[in-house]
Amino acid sequence: MRIVIAEDLLLLRDGLVRMLTDTGHTVVAAVDNAPDLERAVLEHRPDLSIVDVRLPPGFRDEGLRAALSVRERDPKAPILILSQYVERTYATELLADGNGAIGYLLKDRVTALDEFLDALERVAAGGTAMDPEVIRQLFARNTRDQRVAALTAREREVLALVAQGLSNSAICAELVLAPPSVEKHISNILTKLDLPPADNTHRRVRAVLAYLNQ
Amino acid sequence: MFPRAARGLAHLLAGLVIGPASFVWAVVTTLATGLLSFTYLGPPVFLVVTWVSRRIARVERWRAGWVLRRPIGDPYGPLTGRNPWTRGRAVIREPGTWRDLAWLLAGFPVGLVTGVAGVVAGLVWLGTVLAPLWLWAVPNPRLYPVADWLFNTVGGRFTLAAAGLAAAWPVWWLVAALSRVQASVAARLLEAGPRARLRQQVSALRATRLRVVDAQAAELQRIERDLHDGAQARIVAAGMTLALADRKLRASGSAEDPVRADVVSARRQLDEALAELRRLVRGIYPPILTDRGLVAALTALAGDAPSSVVVDAPELGDLPAAVESAAYFVVAEALANAVKHAGADECVITLRRTDGVLTLAVRDDGRGGADPSGSGLDGLRRRVEALDGTMEVTSPPGGPTTVLAEFPCAS
Repeated sequence: MRIVIAEDLLLLRDGLVRMLTDTGHTVVAAVDNAPDLERAVLEHRPDLSIVDVRLPPGFRDEGLRAALSVRERDPKAPILILSQYVERTYATELLADGNGAIGYLLKDRVTALDEFLDALERVAAGGTAMDPEVIRQLFARNTRDQRVAALTAREREVLALVAQGLSNSAICAELVLAPPSVEKHISNILTKLDLPPADNTHRRVRAVLAYLNQ
Repeated sequence: MFPRAARGLAHLLAGLVIGPASFVWAVVTTLATGLLSFTYLGPPVFLVVTWVSRRIARVERWRAGWVLRRPIGDPYGPLTGRNPWTRGRAVIREPGTWRDLAWLLAGFPVGLVTGVAGVVAGLVWLGTVLAPLWLWAVPNPRLYPVADWLFNTVGGRFTLAAAGLAAAWPVWWLVAALSRVQASVAARLLEAGPRARLRQQVSALRATRLRVVDAQAAELQRIERDLHDGAQARIVAAGMTLALADRKLRASGSAEDPVRADVVSARRQLDEALAELRRLVRGIYPPILTDRGLVAALTALAGDAPSSVVVDAPELGDLPAAVESAAYFVVAEALANAVKHAGADECVITLRRTDGVLTLAVRDDGRGGADPSGSGLDGLRRRVEALDGTMEVTSPPGGPTTVLAEFPCAS
């Protein structure tokens, strides 16, 4: 893939470039601040942009804001936000336009290389990659939801993976289950949460996240 | 000694002029304000009079300081309030006002006694020393024989001058001492009294404490950023290197190599270290507070809560970092208690900023009966009080529980 990176710390920027190059991707631009990111994305039209939340000039959430403004101009531009911390609020803002092709992961996930590369592919293909930590926060606020409470432990595991944006086959591999039983779990979950059945992974993820976020 | 005496003489002469003038001013204006105090003209006239009196007092402070060789500061506290009545009340409550008046009245007799004594001593001494120069011009027909000899012969006149020179030191000392007496009385009355001194110390202490607390909050924010940009980033980078190493081991067909197991477990340990650091940072200074400020951070906090939480807050403008973080942790604790102990379904967070005070209220509809001296709330109260704020928890059995905190924050 052709990738743009926005990360202000040289150490991590170089590490990401090396890692992506080693795994057969091309980094077309590696910038260290928000305005440059917007310019680079408009210029290169990459398959994916990997963006840190905190960037100069202000070291607040410039990276996130730049990503959102890129999406306003190009609603389908795939963006993966990497951060040292997760905030449910940020996840909500990123998912708000409902176009998919959005990821929000902790920087730690970079070290689990295979899962990280999977997430890159998913986002570039228009899917979603949500950090398990975000999902954990979403579950925490739904503790008193009767319908979530009605789910079995296994169903909860599956729901968490669906919310992260994993496809059926990935969920099978993760939980070591046969495809039919995963499909059955998913349809049970959608029924219990009053969500419309959906075959399309992205639509399903969106419905689940919207539900958990309401 | 001579310069001190000259300085003292100048001081005493000025006192002879200023003393009566300020005495008349004080008597007339006191009577006038006394008469006008029953009309609506009272407060403004009183304020104008006080303003002038304070200027006179300031001149007197400078004069006394000039003799005593040390600066004499104003004792007045800050004057607040917008309308003449409230300002007038503040002036009346200010002890400095009455001490000024005391000096304006007492300055006259004190200045008269010391001034006349000092000036007479000075002039007589000058007359004797300069006797040979001027006595020949002044005929003195009827004098005692002794005085006649002293005044009307050359030898006598020089004897006078010699006696004057001999007495120079004590006379100079006397003039300087008289002027110091006057200045000391003035300083005693015009300087800050014990109450004003205490007040000045308190306000100085308050200012330094706020600076300390602010510095501490800024420091915590800096630590949060440094961890984020330093330690956390380095650990992530090390994890990346290990991940690539692991990938190379697998590619070279040594997937079963025991070294690979070590690499994988080292990577896991780094992940745990990162999770640990994140928890630590959140406890030090929540990142979203740095990113977006108090209202956004509280909205996020409300959104994460399992019960329904409403945040009612207008745009608050810039707040000190110390106030923001204390307010954030107060709300976090109150919400956690509401969910954990009170079983609340609804919480309302209200924030208002008026007249340099930030008011924060967290109200829940839970069971109540919270112990305000519980460790979490008590630690937070200390934190709020360090900012000169107050925190109250009211939690009758059966609810509702309200946590009310106020923070001074000058805009």
